[in-house]
Amino acid sequence: MNLVNNFVDPQSKKCYIIKPMQIGVGFSSNNDHIKAAQEAFNEASSAINRRRPDLALLFNTLKLSHPLVLKTIRDSLGDTPLLGLSSPSIIVNRGSCKNGLAIALFSFPEDIYFNTTCVKEISLNNASSSGEKLGDDLLYGCKGIRRNLSIIFLDGQIPEGENIIFGMQKKVGRSFPMVGASTLGPVYFNNSILNNAACGILFGGKLNFGLGVKHGWQPLGKPRRVTLSSGNTAQEIDNKAAASLYQEYFAKDSSSLKKDLKHISPFYPLGIDISGKKEYLLRSLSSIGESGSLAFNGDIPQGSRIRLMISSKEYCLESTRQAAQLAKESLKNQKAKFILIFNSLARSMLLGRQENIEISAIKEVFGADVPILGAYTLAEEAPLNSTDYLGIPYYHNNSIAILAMAG
Amino acid sequence: MFEANIITILIATLIIIYLTAMLLTKMQKAKQLEQEAEELKKSLDNMDEQAKIIVRTDMELNRIQEELDKKISGLYALQKLSHSISMTLVEDQIFQRLSPEHIDELGFEKSLIFFWNKKGGEFYTKAALGYAEEEKELISAHLNGNKEKFLSLIEADETLSSITMPENFIDKNTLRSIFKASYFILSPILPKQSECGFIFIGTEKTDTLITEGDEELIKILATQLGQALENARLFEKTWNSQRELEEKVGERTQELTAALEEVKKMNKRKTDFVSSVSHELRTPLTSIKGYAAILLTGKLGEIPTEAKQRLEKINRHSDELGHIVNELLDISRIESGKVTMSLEPWDLREVINKIEDLLSGQLKEKKIDLEILVQPKDFKVLIDQTQIGRVFINLIGNAMKFTPANGKISVSGKKKDGMIQVDVSDTGCGIPQEAKDSIFEEFFRVENSINQEVKGTGLGLALVKRIIEAHQGKIWVDSVMGKGTTFSFTLPQG
Repeated sequence: MNLVNNFVDPQSKKCYIIKPMQIGVGFSSNNDHIKAAQEAFNEASSAINRRRPDLALLFNTLKLSHPLVLKTIRDSLGDTPLLGLSSPSIIVNRGSCKNGLAIALFSFPEDIYFNTTCVKEISLNNASSSGEKLGDDLLYGCKGIRRNLSIIFLDGQIPEGENIIFGMQKKVGRSFPMVGASTLGPVYFNNSILNNAACGILFGGKLNFGLGVKHGWQPLGKPRRVTLSSGNTAQEIDNKAAASLYQEYFAKDSSSLKKDLKHISPFYPLGIDISGKKEYLLRSLSSIGESGSLAFNGDIPQGSRIRLMISSKEYCLESTRQAAQLAKESLKNQKAKFILIFNSLARSMLLGRQENIEISAIKEVFGADVPILGAYTLAEEAPLNSTDYLGIPYYHNNSIAILAMAG
Repeated sequence: MFEANIITILIATLIIIYLTAMLLTKMQKAKQLEQEAEELKKSLDNMDEQAKIIVRTDMELNRIQEELDKKISGLYALQKLSHSISMTLVEDQIFQRLSPEHIDELGFEKSLIFFWNKKGGEFYTKAALGYAEEEKELISAHLNGNKEKFLSLIEADETLSSITMPENFIDKNTLRSIFKASYFILSPILPKQSECGFIFIGTEKTDTLITEGDEELIKILATQLGQALENARLFEKTWNSQRELEEKVGERTQELTAALEEVKKMNKRKTDFVSSVSHELRTPLTSIKGYAAILLTGKLGEIPTEAKQRLEKINRHSDELGHIVNELLDISRIESGKVTMSLEPWDLREVINKIEDLLSGQLKEKKIDLEILVQPKDFKVLIDQTQIGRVFINLIGNAMKFTPANGKISVSGKKKDGMIQVDVSDTGCGIPQEAKDSIFEEFFRVENSINQEVKGTGLGLALVKRIIEAHQGKIWVDSVMGKGTTFSFTLPQG
């Protein structure tokens, strides 16, 4: 039987029967909230042979973000921990979907541990301390255990969400592998639908995983320097009002720039040159201030060298392939059992009607039968050098972060 | 000492010269570097200018792509929606097919369809997506408060949007607040008909860009809804007419069935009557014939010649009457199903041979040639040989009756539609056209000189018809006056 492996603990010499990791994903696009939840749960449950799941992830589109959905799933799950998010569009094996919900059910072997937690009522003033609390709570009970990975979901409406990552890194370590997403809707934690909140999972033990993050945007034009900034707002670039950079490039005055923000922001982010890193860290424009300042989805440090970035469908798709390949290479020749994807909404806009070619490319790398769960996000959290264990997780824009689990 | 000083001076001079040269070289290099830096800066600036062109072109391309994607998505949605609404011919179901997904794919969130009720003189809601009940009522009230304007808009058959709304129509912002939509499109449905309406489709998203393409798309949707509606109404009309027709046909069929039943009953009564009368006639007829025969023998005393002549007449007429009675009985028995046909496979030629033997004397006497064109084993028929024998006797007998001397009678056969068709033709006087339909009726006799001379019961062909029909066959006649007659009948294959 290949369903179980015998494991002998070298210290205690005791023999354990280790159940293999099983992960099943179920999907439904039924407009009826209860039916949708039941259909998706049943599909996921049958994929793990009706075993009692240890953990559940729920991703749904904004249309199906309803207490009835959560209640129906909770009724089936019992006290199994549940984390989730809402997004304008979710990703499953069949492609991206604007109306539906997907559930991933995990049944882990005994040598994989995890802890879940959430922090609520996060505001501008307490983002960093909330991150620290998130880190502390995730570490609780994990002392003495080899820690592997953390997955976090943030409500994208939280101002300066990046500070949550910084706060958390203070506790779990700067280089600790992390993958996460800031979403457009609320996050789920067990029985609650939460706004202004963040929730996370910390894995320990023998989890075999691979991470890949790429964006595919290329620098364009001459480098510039952020001469005055604070947090996510750049006041001056090259000693001029920050907005003049975009005004010059797009030949638009401030008001028409504001009007066209929807068409500029996703396609032309700024790239921050991180010393020692090959890839630029992207920052997409979120608003233009009256004084000509620019606010971004993520911090833009004063003194950083920046470039205007541009991409194309081909570059975008190639970066997806690279991210998938990076995640696969880290699995040590084991076949992936599950793929978690956080894909920027900007990429979806760039690819337009062809957005599903990204999912096809990922399936080409891992195999079409590997269950996929993903969401389109406002920001992605992942290490910049994905395969490097020492890679520091950053708050990304316009990127695709792929987590593959094997075992 | 002097020499030493000179050497020092020379060395110092040389050093100065060297240093000056070095300085000049450095200065030249610095100038060169400065020039290069300047060129590099210029290149960077040029590159930046090129980048600006690239970015602006790229942005334009993205915008076109976005517009194109939107149009393609809209067209796909329209195609799906058109397919969906064309699949039903029930008026109410057409509007139920309009789903939030379709509206979303068209790039909007909400939709309303209003129709004009001519009798009530007001607009009513046919479909609403993305609106609460109270919102629907509010919109309906506003619409009916400005019904003339909306009616004139429908009559003008103009598709309008929040971008192209004319000044003289209702204030754009008022419509925005009533319909709770920042951007919208309004398009008439069936503008030329009395029961007309319009579709409203809108979004609350402030960044929506409504283009001419969107207006065209919604106009197409409105036209297709109108067409589907017309089809549904036409179908309902046709359906109702068909139902009316079916009901009428049903009624007529019932009436005809009842009449047929009545005819059948009457026919049965007639058959029963003929049968019982025939039976009743046969017994006294036998007695009459018996007594006449005894008297004729003279055993009861000598009979005067005149009385003998009368008795012979009684005897002959009794035979004729007996023949009529027997044929009537046969017809009524066949009609009532009392005679069962004992069907067996027979060689047609063999059946005809027997008749030929039987009639050969009469044929010779009348100098009529009987030509049998059916060869042995040509056709096998499933028949009651005795009854079909009677058919041949009757038909050939008739032909003999109406064919003058030196005439010809021929019997031929052929396969047709799984049956065997037999034709009995003569070169006789023929049957008038008007008599053809009645020739198989009981007691019908064609009015001609021969019939006036030759006696007949008028039951022979009626009996033939009954026998053929009892074999699941058909009989008919073709005739040309003065040239001859052909009786054709069909028999099942053996």
